[in-house]
Amino acid sequence: MALAGCGDQPTPVKVDMTQREESAAGARQPVITYAYLPQFSHTVSFERHHRLVQYLTETTGLNIQQIFPETFHEHMLMVAQGKIDISYANPFVYALTAEHSEAKVFAKILEPSGEANFGGLIIIRTDNPDIHSLQDVRGKRWIAVDQFSAGGYLFGLGYFIDNDIRPEDFAEIVFAPGPGGKQESVILGVYAGRYDVGTVREGALELLEDKIDMSQIKILAHTPRYPGWSFAARAGLAEEVVRDLKEAMFALDIDDPDHRLILESAAMRGIIPAAPEDFDAVRELVRRAGLE
Amino acid sequence: MSAFFLSLHRRSFQSKINLGLALIIICFGLLLGAINYAVSSRAVLREALMRGEMLSMNLSARSTESILSMNFLRLTNLVTEIVDRDDRNDLVYAFILDRHGQVLAHTFRDGFPVALLHVNPVEDHQPFGMRFLDTGRERLYDFAAPVMVGSTRVGTVRLALSHTTIKAAIDRLMWINLAATIGATFLALFVGSLFARTVTRRINALRHSAEQVVKGNLDVQISPAPDRNCWEIMNCTEQRCPAHEDRLRRCWYVAGTFCPDCSAGNFPDKLDDCRNCTVYCRNSGDEIQSLAESFDFMALTLKNHIEELRRSEGNLARQKQLLNTILDVTPDMVTLQDVELIYLAVNKAFCRHVGREESEIVGSTDFDIFSDEQADRNYHEDMQILLTRQPLSKEIMTRGSKGKKWHHVVKVPVEENDRVIGLLTTARDITVVKQYQEKLIHSQKMEDLGRLAGGVAHEINTPLSIILGYSQLLLKDFPPDDPVAQDIEIIEKQAQVCRKIVADLLSFSRTTEQAALPMDINASLREVADLVEHIFRQNRIVINLHLDDRIPPVSGDKERLKQVWMNLFNNAADAIGMDGCISVTSKLCAHRRRLVVAVADTGGGVDENDLDKIFEPFFTTKPVDKGTGLGLSVTFGIIKDHGGRISAISPVPSEYMDVSPACTGESGPGTVFFVELPLEGNELPPDECIEIPKKET
Repeated sequence: MALAGCGDQPTPVKVDMTQREESAAGARQPVITYAYLPQFSHTVSFERHHRLVQYLTETTGLNIQQIFPETFHEHMLMVAQGKIDISYANPFVYALTAEHSEAKVFAKILEPSGEANFGGLIIIRTDNPDIHSLQDVRGKRWIAVDQFSAGGYLFGLGYFIDNDIRPEDFAEIVFAPGPGGKQESVILGVYAGRYDVGTVREGALELLEDKIDMSQIKILAHTPRYPGWSFAARAGLAEEVVRDLKEAMFALDIDDPDHRLILESAAMRGIIPAAPEDFDAVRELVRRAGLE
Repeated sequence: MSAFFLSLHRRSFQSKINLGLALIIICFGLLLGAINYAVSSRAVLREALMRGEMLSMNLSARSTESILSMNFLRLTNLVTEIVDRDDRNDLVYAFILDRHGQVLAHTFRDGFPVALLHVNPVEDHQPFGMRFLDTGRERLYDFAAPVMVGSTRVGTVRLALSHTTIKAAIDRLMWINLAATIGATFLALFVGSLFARTVTRRINALRHSAEQVVKGNLDVQISPAPDRNCWEIMNCTEQRCPAHEDRLRRCWYVAGTFCPDCSAGNFPDKLDDCRNCTVYCRNSGDEIQSLAESFDFMALTLKNHIEELRRSEGNLARQKQLLNTILDVTPDMVTLQDVELIYLAVNKAFCRHVGREESEIVGSTDFDIFSDEQADRNYHEDMQILLTRQPLSKEIMTRGSKGKKWHHVVKVPVEENDRVIGLLTTARDITVVKQYQEKLIHSQKMEDLGRLAGGVAHEINTPLSIILGYSQLLLKDFPPDDPVAQDIEIIEKQAQVCRKIVADLLSFSRTTEQAALPMDINASLREVADLVEHIFRQNRIVINLHLDDRIPPVSGDKERLKQVWMNLFNNAADAIGMDGCISVTSKLCAHRRRLVVAVADTGGGVDENDLDKIFEPFFTTKPVDKGTGLGLSVTFGIIKDHGGRISAISPVPSEYMDVSPACTGESGPGTVFFVELPLEGNELPPDECIEIPKKET
């Protein structure tokens, strides 16, 4: 029995467990921190941007490291505190951040469609018997991505207001819980029937195409388009650093196979220069929605 | 080893089954236990290793976000929770490395063992890696899983399972296996013992019954009686059915049952029809019960056969006894020989004849019993009969120590199914018949001779009277002293002799009616005895009379019977000559239907060969000129005329010896004459007179 039980035991590798060391505070190299507003999960954020970060690192020679704030609010706070050197954020967050931390936008992306603007989607379940038009959303439960989400909240809120639907008309307004992955949470919340109405940004539905039956999700309305995501440098970041980054970013060419891989991973078609005034429409919307 | 097998061989069948079952169960239990242990221990190990894989991959997946966000608290919580919440207590450690191999979180409380960092490298494309580690204190299964985001590796998780804990689980499994095997063995032994006891109890019953049968007790009953019999199941009221009310045998063992579906054959031929019968389906049992029923049936059949055989044996014995009795009491000699002429059976008469025991004769041939010459003669004669199948009937005369014997022999071939299987021989002693036959011839001859002598005497009597007359006339012519007168006297004397002879011859042949008057035999005997007594006394011959006073008067010719007594007395005196006794005895024979007169002398006796001839005319043993040989012939004729019989025996039997003092002197063997006369009628009764001793043959 002993032979039968232990006959196929591999030869053990000797390990000396007596040599131990405590974690020591090692010398940290100066790094440029790069953060992607956590509209998706950290892994999605990593997958989308780590090639771009790696490209920028290799191109500029800077030690750029992607970091992952847990929430929109944390992201904005870290930008304000100067913990994020390069912030890739939606126009709503940028508008708010710029107001408080004097971060400077220096580039914006072209959406995969080739446009610089993007919009939001108002979605319901296809088989919801109570909602046939936008006006039917009154009294219903609304789930939005985050209170600082542009496509996932702000654009939708602006659209409801433009259609005389006030936030208080809803029975409930809920923001997706947890860190990251919020676009997906909104879609899944509507899909599960827990909420009647959901607001996400354009292109979010494609993330779950292979996970849920998309025919159960109906797009009730498309919001107007606003300027898209942008790169902003924290106040005080060296000019040459921003310059090197801008050069590297603007050098990305969709026709270059290597660059194309980087750009498509990051769900963008290209990066173009941007100025703070490009986002006035968003600031206007924020004011209109009373979210200042 | 041989002693072990011998000991095993001597054990009971139940012990053998128990031992066999125990051996099989233990062997199979150990084998199955070993296989089960091997399989289950491998399964436990594989499950533990899979658990390690899953834990490592799970930790890898769960730690991805935290690694990306550098959330050390969550990473530390992840590794400590996975170790602390391990309810199996086999997780020894867990830690997480970043993509540069720097430790982000670990569960070691007193510093991280740096040697662990390099012992289990895992490639990006591998889902996990496993190494078996020996720390000196214990052995570990170390699992490493890369933390991947897409195709990019962001870190590594590591954890270790305790080999000791897994081995303890395997050992626990082994003990459970062992205990289950032992428990199953004992359970199987118990159940097997019950089973063996059930089987062997019935086999022992069979063995016991077989022993009883061997001992001769055929009244055995092994198979249990059915709870419901065939007539109860079939609601049968047929009282004549042989199976009805037969509670010992199942109906399919009984021949000639009345069920419409039953065949007429006997067991086991009729069994083919019983297979689908309700009674058979209900009352038939397993193989052992069938064996027991067959055994009962066999014992019953055997008992019936034996009883039948005993009856037949008794009948045969009685018949044999009867046949032996018949054969043994018959005076005929009976033998049975086979085709090789070997004696198969003989009766007692034959045994007496050849002077051997039956056991000596049976199985032997004539060459073993008779002389070679006799046996050879018998062999050829017998073979001739066997070949020709012609029976033989003949009369043979043999001479032996007891004299001449006549036998009538019949030899018959014994046939069976048109084939000769033996020879039956019977031989009847016809000596007496032959003697009677000879006497008859002799009597006829005497009668013819008497008639002839009478005729001759009658013719001679006339010239003889003339001769005598003329001789007497001539005698008167001469003076007595003249020589012529002397010659004439001689002529006259011889003529007188001749006249006496002729008178005797005439008397012998007289056929005239006698004067049959009642007379006293004893008185006539006394009268003649008184007459001759004086003459005999001159020669010192004494006559002793032993007369039976019970003799009644008989019818007879007194004068002629007196002549008979005279002849017999004279004969006796002639036989004695000088100095002797004549014993005269008269007595009634048994049944009182005849009398017998015996005249015994103490003379020289008569030769045995002459005894049959002494009554013939002119036969005499006397010297020449002393007797004519006609006296006993005349006596024979007179006695015959009286319907009696005369016979003689020499020497005198002891009971007729005269024991009077005058006769105790030296004397010859003597002769005794017996005269038998019927008391009534003119013919002797057919029964024998036991007072007359037989001649020794």
